Amino acid sequence: MPEIVSTTLFLLVNGLIWGLIVALIAIGLSLIFGVMGIVNMAHGDIYMAGAVLSFYVVSMLGSFWLSLVLVPAAIILIAAPMERFVLRPYEGYHSTTMIATVGISFIIQQIALGTYGGIPKKITNPWPISFNFLGVDYPGYRFLVACISILILAGLWLFLYKTSYGILVRASMQDREMASAMGIDVSKVLITTFVIGSILAALGGVLAAPINQVFYLMGNDVILLCFIVVIIGGLGSLKGTLIAALSLCSLEGVLASVLSPVQARAAIFIVMIIVLIRRPRGLFTE
Amino acid sequence: MNGRSEKPIEKRETPTYLVLIFLVLLLVMGMVLPKGARSLVTHMMIFCILAMGYDVCFGLTNQCSLGHAVFFGAGAYGVVLSMLHLKVGILPSLFFSLGTGFILALIMGLICVRLSEAYFVIITAIFFAVFHLFAMDLTWLTGGDDGLSLNLPPLSLGPVTLSLYHPMVNYYFVLIFLGISYLILNRMARSPMGKIFMSIRENEKRLQFLGYDVFRYKLIAFIVSGIFSALSGGLYALTLRYASADFFSFPWSIMPVVWCLIGGIGTLAGPWIGVVIMSLFQYYVSAWWTYYLILFGIIILLILRLSRKGILGYLISRRLTQKA
Amino acid sequence: MNGGNKILETVSVTMRFGGLTALDGVTYSIREGEVRGIIGPNGAGKTTLFNVITGELKPTSGKIFLRGKEISSLPPHAICQEGLGRTFQLTFIFPEMTVYDSIWVGVNSRARRPWNPFILAHQVDDFSQKTKEICHLVGLEEKMNELASNLSYGDQKILEIAMALSTRPSILLLDEPTQGVSPQETDNIAAVIEKLSKRITIILIEHSMDVVLRLCSSITVLNEGRVVAEGSPKEISKNEEVQRVYLGEAS
Repeated sequence: MPEIVSTTLFLLVNGLIWGLIVALIAIGLSLIFGVMGIVNMAHGDIYMAGAVLSFYVVSMLGSFWLSLVLVPAAIILIAAPMERFVLRPYEGYHSTTMIATVGISFIIQQIALGTYGGIPKKITNPWPISFNFLGVDYPGYRFLVACISILILAGLWLFLYKTSYGILVRASMQDREMASAMGIDVSKVLITTFVIGSILAALGGVLAAPINQVFYLMGNDVILLCFIVVIIGGLGSLKGTLIAALSLCSLEGVLASVLSPVQARAAIFIVMIIVLIRRPRGLFTE
Repeated sequence: MNGRSEKPIEKRETPTYLVLIFLVLLLVMGMVLPKGARSLVTHMMIFCILAMGYDVCFGLTNQCSLGHAVFFGAGAYGVVLSMLHLKVGILPSLFFSLGTGFILALIMGLICVRLSEAYFVIITAIFFAVFHLFAMDLTWLTGGDDGLSLNLPPLSLGPVTLSLYHPMVNYYFVLIFLGISYLILNRMARSPMGKIFMSIRENEKRLQFLGYDVFRYKLIAFIVSGIFSALSGGLYALTLRYASADFFSFPWSIMPVVWCLIGGIGTLAGPWIGVVIMSLFQYYVSAWWTYYLILFGIIILLILRLSRKGILGYLISRRLTQKA
Repeated sequence: MNGGNKILETVSVTMRFGGLTALDGVTYSIREGEVRGIIGPNGAGKTTLFNVITGELKPTSGKIFLRGKEISSLPPHAICQEGLGRTFQLTFIFPEMTVYDSIWVGVNSRARRPWNPFILAHQVDDFSQKTKEICHLVGLEEKMNELASNLSYGDQKILEIAMALSTRPSILLLDEPTQGVSPQETDNIAAVIEKLSKRITIILIEHSMDVVLRLCSSITVLNEGRVVAEGSPKEISKNEEVQRVYLGEAS
């Protein structure tokens, strides 16, 4: 197989897998927006928290797999009170809540800085083998990431479409007042949604940690990417977010080999502007 | 019945006379303050212009932009680049600042203003982040985060030649711009245009049914906001004799929001209170605790809890409802 | 009260939302000087009809004409400038502006340069005059400097009407102006509308049959998005189909 094709294939697959991780995070963001109407500016920092917590689990307990279980548990303990006691009081005032999440973002970042420190560190690769696929040497861990992400997404889909609780969440996404009028306990739905959205971001962090370095500011770059993804896919549209994440990350991945990373990001930005001009609500919302 | 004698009460603004008194106070302080304090106050005055400019967008027309760092940074680079490459003087460089602010605000506004609330916040955030990225990357143009330094030419105003290197001159230079900016924006807020802006904040949709093309007015507010934000960036560059890619970073986008929320959105001069409080806070607290940003985040949460209109807005609405 | 030219006309207006047909081929016209009542059970499409006429919604098919000019695809602010004013079912006012300012904004919108940033708003004398006239007309002069949110609900409904009037429309669309209001305030509002009806054409959506019978010169009955009957109040109250439509509804 010619070099250029195999390199492009490699980058494409890399991009798709990164896109799966970004999809998890962005879907979490979209879900929170769809049900609560707020843009959680601290979402990227929850991703970071997931990565940092995973680092601690791995260094103290030695197992990456454990972190996949323990980190979400820890996030529930953080996110649930956050929603209930910090965000709920601003209920209804969207701009205010968004700025409040900026405040939370500062707090989380500084706590991470204080405890974890300002030096980027790496988590050792939990599955350091490589596959050979179509003549390309592929890291096994990334393949694992793909499987786990797809499993998580499938689980989310099952939850939203097959469980009664999931139906409540979707109903609240459609029309909150109607849901409340129909006797649905909206406050439970709010907490559940916020927690699920945050867990998704945190899991994204856990999965990304062995690939990227764990750094207290890593949330900022990811949140920018998530924002671009939800703008193009459409805030509140989970399908759109998934498709946008996969397409944009693979595109950026391939472009970054030809152009510089910044130029690749610029290209994505321009794509976003074009989409926005034609469809101000993203490609997949009505 | 003459309209002049029955002025409809515009309660949302800070009473003008209070602001004028404050400006006179600043005038006097300039001669009395010790060097370090004078420098701090000069910076605060520049931030007051930024805060006021942002308030036009956030406070008057309820557009929560997170992208104003674009205008601030562009204003700073407008000054620096025009001086470095075009060799213009101080006042012309500020014109470049304003011009850049205007053009960027026009372009951004045309894209962003018609978007609904959440999208607007996100995309203005994306804009500043991308500008920051470019500014860091295009080091040949911007100097990256090392930035570009300036040598200021003397400022000649008719028969008098002044140098901004002299701290007192710098102080009064900024103060004059603060005063002029306030007078212009205050006038605008009391004009029919200002009333329209206010109505946008109160009930945008209703205004459409009263015959106004709301998009156009929101765009105008956004552009005015961008122009004044760029002005503050330009003044900052002149004061520091320097501009760097950091001027496009997140704090410059979020601080105006915080100033307005603390001080009182929609009141124009209310955010000045926010500037003073936060500047003093940063100055003193950052000295004894490196993680002072945690306090910063907590302050944001507390202020918002108290009143989403900010301290001054809260006080004003308390006064209004008590009168009823 | 009838006679005069056709001021508003809808021709076969249909409005569909996905699978739901809110309006189905609604064709009717209003003549200048009329006070037309629009009644019908909940969900009949009355407010949707208003939304389509005032430009909030674009009709799926059909056309709307204001004084012979087609306004079907104009945005709301343009339609208002053409002389159409409306109120909203739930009070949709400017909570923290005074009564005076709220009305003033509407008066200002018809100015040649409503966006003038150079003059002081309160110095525009003839607007000040017009604003006070409207306050006086609806009976709110004493409360001119009150904040809108401090008014009683009934007064807020009147403010709604005053705001719609402020753009000097030639036809006024009132959406349930007496809804949720005490009987005395209903009387008050009805009196205001009666006063107005001598000067401009009015279309009135109402649930209270008393108000409708008192004020309207003719009535259109809507049900399930279709015009079911049209005529004078006397004719309508005797109409069997109308009775069936209303009796069949537990409203």
